[in-house]
Amino acid sequence: MKRQILLIFLSFSSLCLSQETSQDSYKKRVLESTELDLITSYYKQDGKNAAVTGGIGTEELTDYAGSIVVAIPLNDDDVLTLNAGISAYTSASSSNINPFDGNSSADPYVASTGASKSDTWLNFKANYSHSSDDRNSKWNGNISVSSEYDYFSMGAGIGFTKLINEKNTELNANFQAFFDSWKLIYPIELRPFENPPPNSIPDFGGVPGYLPDFNPHSEKNRNSYALELGVSQVFSKKAQGILLIDLVSQHGLLSTPFQRVYFNDATDYYFDGFHLADDIEQLPNSRFRASIGGRFNFYLNEVVVLRTFYRFYSDDWGITSHTTSIEVPIKLNQKFTIYPSWRYYQQSEADYFAPYNLHLSSKNYYTSDYDLSNFHSNQLGIGVRYTDIFAKARIWKAGLKNIDMFYHNYNRNSSFEASIVTLSFNFILD
Amino acid sequence: MYTRLLLTCFATVLLSSCVAVKEYDKMYLSDPDMLLSLKKSKKYVTTFHSYREAAVGSNGGNTGGGCGCN
Repeated sequence: MKRQILLIFLSFSSLCLSQETSQDSYKKRVLESTELDLITSYYKQDGKNAAVTGGIGTEELTDYAGSIVVAIPLNDDDVLTLNAGISAYTSASSSNINPFDGNSSADPYVASTGASKSDTWLNFKANYSHSSDDRNSKWNGNISVSSEYDYFSMGAGIGFTKLINEKNTELNANFQAFFDSWKLIYPIELRPFENPPPNSIPDFGGVPGYLPDFNPHSEKNRNSYALELGVSQVFSKKAQGILLIDLVSQHGLLSTPFQRVYFNDATDYYFDGFHLADDIEQLPNSRFRASIGGRFNFYLNEVVVLRTFYRFYSDDWGITSHTTSIEVPIKLNQKFTIYPSWRYYQQSEADYFAPYNLHLSSKNYYTSDYDLSNFHSNQLGIGVRYTDIFAKARIWKAGLKNIDMFYHNYNRNSSFEASIVTLSFNFILD
Repeated sequence: MYTRLLLTCFATVLLSSCVAVKEYDKMYLSDPDMLLSLKKSKKYVTTFHSYREAAVGSNGGNTGGGCGCN
């Protein structure tokens, strides 16, 4: 499979390289003026298979997110793009890291009021790009940092783009690395067993016999390395496509320390009616992920455009998946376009997945995270874009060019459902 | 078998399609809806997919960083 992918990519690239014939002499400014994007979203999900409570329980989560993206032309050739984002969420399943809040009986289907019920994620990214005089090649580099209470991530990347065949073929290569670290937070009932005082028998709530075989993680870091190769091609005056290959290698702590697991061959213990964890999720400390995907866009006529996408994904945890989507922008007039879309996704389950209370303690790896289960999903979307190419509407020194609003509804063949609304504004600055 | 067949068909289409459309003929291709890159306004949708699904990559979205664990 890997050999086939590489063969296709290399043969396509070499053929297109051989067709390079001419270069443009006209030098156009890469970005005419500073652009500002304000992007906001509201996300809501619910389900009955929370990983924090071992595959049962509420997955209710709401998230408000916003980001500002500023693209600044530094000169004719160079562009600096700055991206700052914030996301504030409340999660019922996370709240049940400690379900014993004293307000009511502990229940995986009811949110607790503990500190872990909400968090804020902050993100900053800077990207610098330089284009050659003939605009046929471009280098870019980026750095990023993101932080939330129990997770910190730093990233860096470089990329190269080459346009050939009279700018009808584009070759891309990007490499990205992320260096992440966890603050290890375990389910409340396992904490007495994390670092028990010497010569003492750890205990949680005086539950007789509850002595789980729990070993805290020694690893706190997670490193990810991603290589993306892409070839885009103009097929005709109305059709173009792109082929993308992503290879991702991850190492370190890949399991989530506060996700409970229950064994079928272990005695069940309860406190306040809540099933106490037998262990936490255990997953291998490495994962290799590969995907190959393509987009094909066709300008049907002045009203309708077809945007299609397909991706095949596989990893060494035993998951394979297929993703396909279609979006059909329909231009109502010069200012308004609507965007109906449909997306289908299907994946097989990881080798280490089993539902609630069905794992065996003799295994090395186990998870009841339904994001790693066998499922398929459908997503329907609708959106509208307002465009003013002259950016006449002004706010101080900014001219409003676009407003986008999208709604997507996502349904799995299980109990899981999610909805997201995004609203974004694109301004041109004087 | 089907995957091989699909890949072969896809490769054949690509290999036979390296035409050269002149810059002045790219009016339709320059339409914002014809862009092959990910729309900025869709970035949060792609992010939630990468958290709730195992698959990542090949869509211009993030392929690492962040736990996505809630």
